[in-house]
Amino acid sequence: MRILIVEDEPDLLTSLAQALREEGYAVDTANNGNDGLFNAEGTDYDAIVLDVMLPGMDGWEILRRLRKTKKTPVLMLTARDQTRDRVKGLDSGADDYVVKPFDLEEVFARLRAIIRRSANQTTNLIEIGEVTINTAARNVLLKGKPVELTAREYSLVEFLAVHRGEVVTRTQLYEHLFDENESSMSNLLDVHVSNVRKKLGADFIATRRGHGYCIA
Amino acid sequence: MKIFKSIKWRLQIWYGLILVAVLIGFGLTSFQLERNRQFRRIDEELQRRFSAITMAVRPPPNRGPNANRQSPDRPLRIQRPEDSPTLNGGWLQSELHLPPQVLALFDSGDRNKFFYSIEFRDGRDPVRSTNAPIQLMEIRDFPPGAPPAEAGRPPDVRPKLLQPATPQTSGMIREIVQKMPQGMDTVVRVGCSIATELKELQITALKLAGVGGVVLIFGLAGGWWLVGRALKPVTIISTTAAKISAGDLSQRIDMAEAESELGQLAAVLNSTFARLESAFAQQRQFASDAAHELRTPVSVILTQTQAALARERDAASYLQTVEACQRAAQRMRKLIETLLELARFDAGQEVLKRLTFDFSQTIAGCADWVRPLAEDRGVKIISELSPLEITGDPERLEQVVANLLTNAIQYNQPAGEVRLKLEADNGLAVLTIADTGQGIAPDDLPRVFERFYRGDKSRTGGGSAGLGLSICKSIIEAHGGTIEVMSGQNIGTTFTVRLPKQS
Repeated sequence: MRILIVEDEPDLLTSLAQALREEGYAVDTANNGNDGLFNAEGTDYDAIVLDVMLPGMDGWEILRRLRKTKKTPVLMLTARDQTRDRVKGLDSGADDYVVKPFDLEEVFARLRAIIRRSANQTTNLIEIGEVTINTAARNVLLKGKPVELTAREYSLVEFLAVHRGEVVTRTQLYEHLFDENESSMSNLLDVHVSNVRKKLGADFIATRRGHGYCIA
Repeated sequence: MKIFKSIKWRLQIWYGLILVAVLIGFGLTSFQLERNRQFRRIDEELQRRFSAITMAVRPPPNRGPNANRQSPDRPLRIQRPEDSPTLNGGWLQSELHLPPQVLALFDSGDRNKFFYSIEFRDGRDPVRSTNAPIQLMEIRDFPPGAPPAEAGRPPDVRPKLLQPATPQTSGMIREIVQKMPQGMDTVVRVGCSIATELKELQITALKLAGVGGVVLIFGLAGGWWLVGRALKPVTIISTTAAKISAGDLSQRIDMAEAESELGQLAAVLNSTFARLESAFAQQRQFASDAAHELRTPVSVILTQTQAALARERDAASYLQTVEACQRAAQRMRKLIETLLELARFDAGQEVLKRLTFDFSQTIAGCADWVRPLAEDRGVKIISELSPLEITGDPERLEQVVANLLTNAIQYNQPAGEVRLKLEADNGLAVLTIADTGQGIAPDDLPRVFERFYRGDKSRTGGGSAGLGLSICKSIIEAHGGTIEVMSGQNIGTTFTVRLPKQS
């Protein structure tokens, strides 16, 4: 899962990015409105964390422009907690909002929720044959027993599971699993796929030659 | 009592009292006039009859050369035993005959009509009309005796027109009682019963009282209505004020009659309410902005610490966290200090020092202080300062100059200029600080002195919360001065501070 954070307070940006990376997300950052919009329009993020008060272009404007081309789920960070601000945010196309100061746990939970909703899922549990994926606890069970997966492996499983039945291209996977700083390592994806097959069964992930990967 | 504290009741009572007084005065006057009119009519009648009687009983007028004769030539109407020159003896009752035309003036049959009575001092029976009341007013001042003839001066019996005495009222009777001049012991009394007239007057009085009562009732009712109408705006004002006092600051007095004195009052109150509302709104905005400004540093501390505590980390990572927290805390401290400073200025609690010093040196000191920053950005500071003594708080003014200078450098173009100029103008010290930056957008220009207002919506610009210019304004205004800003896009921004030399 790849996330964009647009926030101009440097200390807040670094800690948010660090925390989300540790949660297994691929994280891109932008510290002003113009860069934020540029990134958001250029990449298919799974979610965007967007501050309202930004230099260059404020969060509302970014949201308004982004919604012309993309449906990426957006979580607004706002310092204003009045009803009219929330209404404005939700009406402008935000999927959810968090009021500053916030707890990281809440940001994580809301991010999971908007990503889940965007994939038309209603629960945190995805069952595929003998494999159960809990997107809230970020763990995977095989025949009821926990399977140890690295964060990146889990992200791969989760992304394919969320797009179950679809063929997911390598490009898509690169876009969603790696942030802009690591996308050059092209054979990394194959390593992760083969590790997951070892742990969850060889036919858990099917390879569609020339297209990509798929979970049936 | 509550009723006496009510303006409506007090007005009504005063109004009622005045109305009653006017009505009573008017009624009494009317009554008196009517009474006088009646009495004058009666008196005229009485006098006519009195004259007739006296003409009948007095000695005949003296005509001709022997006018000095004491005795008239002939008795005109009264038969006397002898043609005596002395009248002192009076007349005998049987001899006193009033002529019929005189008698016709008195109606003997009607007790309410005119009567006459001629009384004698010597005890003879009085000659009177039959309707004369038996009990007549006692004649107290009956003359004690006729002036004696031996006085050598016979009584003056010259015929003259007898002036009737003033009529007087005794009980139900109005009468003229007068002694006859030719016979001091003869009293002629002409009177009439005024029972009918008194009755009429009584009815008139009742009518007046009735009309007065009706007028009073209508007057009081009208007064009540008028007072109520006049005081209605007061009610509206007090209702509105009560609503405002209860917290609804958007209420305004609805004045249809804006022309009246109360209309002016309402207009004044409305403008006061408007200022009150905007002051409250400003205060709310200020509190909300202040809270808003504190949210971001608190967010930093929360996310930094929560992320750090999520798992075991190395020392360098903890150090980063602690440093970030310290930055956030310092930002909050600065914000809190600034807010308190503003609050003190607002409350007028900020005590300014009053020292006389050379303002140009303060400015030059500030310029030296910010020069490293300017050189960092390739900005040139050009000073044109003439020595100028002013009275004020040097530290506070230094704060203003430093703030304006820092802004001028930060918002300048690379290789730009900052021009500083201090000159005296009309008893004012005028400081202009002009930069060659990109200028302030016309939309933002009127709001730059507003608290928490930031033109570029960013909070990274020098770490300021948008309070710097607000503080400058507060300080300058506390010195009795003004601060203005002019700006042209891509031309630059000029701040002008005007300070009285003696604040």
